Amino acid sequence: MTLCGAIGPRISVTSASFGGTLLSVQLNHAQRELTVKIVYYGPGLSGKTTNLQMIHQRTQPDVRGRLLTVETHDDRTLFFDLLPVFFSTASGFKVKVKLFTVPGQVIHNATRRIVLQGADAVAFIADSRRSAGAENNSYWKNLNENMRENGLDPGQVPIVIQFNKRDLPDTRSDAELDEARKKGKEPIVGAIAIRGVGVLETLFAVLQSAYRSIEARAGLAKNVGLTEREFLTQVFKNIDTSGTELERLFPPKVKTP
Amino acid sequence: MRQGESVLQRRISLTELLDVESFTEVVKGFVDLYKVGIKVFDEKGGKLADIKVGNGDFCGYVFSFPEGRRRCTATVGRVKDGPVALSHGARLPVLEVSDVPKAKGVVTVPCFTGLRYLILPIHWEGDSLGRVVFGPFFPDDLGDFPPASLKEISEGFDVANARRFVEKVRRAPEGTIARVLLHFSQLLQTLLFAGQKMFLTSQLHIEATLEQNRELEERNKKLEEVNTKLKELDRLKSAFLATVSHELRTPLTSIIGYSEMLTEGLAGPLNGEQVDYVRTIMEKGETLLKLITSILDISQIEAGRVRLTFEPMDPFDLVNSSVSSLRPQAQKKGVVLEARLPARPFQATGDRDRLRQVVTNLLTNAVKFTPKGGTVRVVLSDLAHQPDLNAQGYRIIVEDSGVGIPADQFDKIFQSFYQVDSSSTREFGGAGIGLAIVKSFVEGHGGVVRVASEVNRGSRFSVILPAIPSMQAQVSIAPPVTGTEAPADDRF
Repeated sequence: MTLCGAIGPRISVTSASFGGTLLSVQLNHAQRELTVKIVYYGPGLSGKTTNLQMIHQRTQPDVRGRLLTVETHDDRTLFFDLLPVFFSTASGFKVKVKLFTVPGQVIHNATRRIVLQGADAVAFIADSRRSAGAENNSYWKNLNENMRENGLDPGQVPIVIQFNKRDLPDTRSDAELDEARKKGKEPIVGAIAIRGVGVLETLFAVLQSAYRSIEARAGLAKNVGLTEREFLTQVFKNIDTSGTELERLFPPKVKTP
Repeated sequence: MRQGESVLQRRISLTELLDVESFTEVVKGFVDLYKVGIKVFDEKGGKLADIKVGNGDFCGYVFSFPEGRRRCTATVGRVKDGPVALSHGARLPVLEVSDVPKAKGVVTVPCFTGLRYLILPIHWEGDSLGRVVFGPFFPDDLGDFPPASLKEISEGFDVANARRFVEKVRRAPEGTIARVLLHFSQLLQTLLFAGQKMFLTSQLHIEATLEQNRELEERNKKLEEVNTKLKELDRLKSAFLATVSHELRTPLTSIIGYSEMLTEGLAGPLNGEQVDYVRTIMEKGETLLKLITSILDISQIEAGRVRLTFEPMDPFDLVNSSVSSLRPQAQKKGVVLEARLPARPFQATGDRDRLRQVVTNLLTNAVKFTPKGGTVRVVLSDLAHQPDLNAQGYRIIVEDSGVGIPADQFDKIFQSFYQVDSSSTREFGGAGIGLAIVKSFVEGHGGVVRVASEVNRGSRFSVILPAIPSMQAQVSIAPPVTGTEAPADDRF
């Protein structure tokens, strides 16, 4: 695990207790700063960029940066998308959450691997249609390969699976999603990203698992006084949760148009 | 693993986001338009832009007094390196009400001369990347000029001079300058965004290219290793076969030799049944010897150890002797064996023994795969131009009315140890190396083998040989390589 930042002493937390796997938490005590990296992974056109666009739309401008996207003329992500969300904790610790997407096309594997570097958690965006099963599987395998190539242990980096495009014909039934749940330990969220359904729920699940994974390794609550509750509240209090399952947990202050 | 950290993993500085030269042009434009000086610093205090206007004479005059110089240096230091916060003499700017929410973080730093500076922190994704300093300007709300803090720097301070010089400094309400600053800030954010986009994508493009390169190199290395391993395995296989064949042949020769002596009565007379048994031992021993010999041949061919000896020879003789050696077998099986020779004999060059083996192998196959009552025919052509070789040459065609070969197997039958029917219950015996030997010997002469066949109708093998083989003819058969993929592990 490497802990780093631009200036100041680099503090490293030993990785011995984690089977020697390289896990990167960017936690800089000197600058009192934590960077959490979330990567949206999955096949081409499964809706990764759409997820980020929806989060961007619903987040207050003063806590987020602009959504950086480099697309080709046919709306396909060429390199990656980046949406930063930042806040300071009650104890004055700076937290940056960086949401990335990877390019979905097969040929961009090198870029996918670079973007995946140092991810704290992954949201795997799958297409729910039955016909997309093979494609999902092949990107799932690709994700695992690229993690290993990057020195990340696929068993150590939390993954949340989003079954997107639940409104399309040929979509998997809820029972089939339950089947998929039983096949692995990853949380599964159904979504229609284009209408904002399931997007924040996925973000919540992936942030929660990222926090828990970092907490287990770096002891955020003890060392920097950042609890899971505060971490999630700081993010979601600035996001319009109206109409989502998170509405009761984080009542929206202002509704975005 | 790749070396170094991706650009996505580290903090980016202001100088990486902005093209300093064109940014300076933008700053100049602002200064020209609003007549107020602008300085831009990065987070370490490095200067990105510094365009002055109007204050040169006034500040120069103040600077000419030692106390003025001291106070001026302190103020400039405060503005450049002090905290962008409401401390160390800084206060909130005087703003129009509508601008207050937009002016988050802006502070006013008064100069001892009565002039003022406005400082705006450059925030980018929650980080402070540096600051923008506007000023000095002459605030509208300033009462007396010069204030006591300026006059007191020296007894020789000339107020009239100072008033004359300060006339050239931009005079405006603080709120107006703040507005210009906010406008500048908006523009800066846009430039930063564009700069970030350019910087990250170009850097990532480079990183991805390097990564692809690394990947290819790795793959090449792996392939090379596999290739070396395969070559070694191939060599070992040939060496193994050669050794084994040799070790089998030696005792077998004894078995055959002693059997022969027994049948000839050298160890005393045998009765009729005993002679039959011993003959069977001898015949089977010879079949086995032939098989071992051809295995040895193919292993030597594959090891590249076979040398052909070219000498003048008679193709008639070649065909005739092969046919007569196969005649007993054909008769025994009830297969008609015909030979058709051209009207005029001719001479050619080649390795007589190897070519006889070629014809014999083809005839053996033909007889083996032709049922009782069928016909095997060998035809020798005239010496003529052969379009396949683009040279003068001749053909030896072996046709049968046997079981035939499916078209998709035509390539494979020439591989060593290949049988069309490789099941354990197959009808026809053999090791599957006869044709591999045929192919390599013919190609060793610079010739080609063609096959045409129809299942259940028969096959025709055509050997096309040059009258005089070139000396560069080569002997080699590449062993077939096959790979299997591991089964996939599905999550969806």
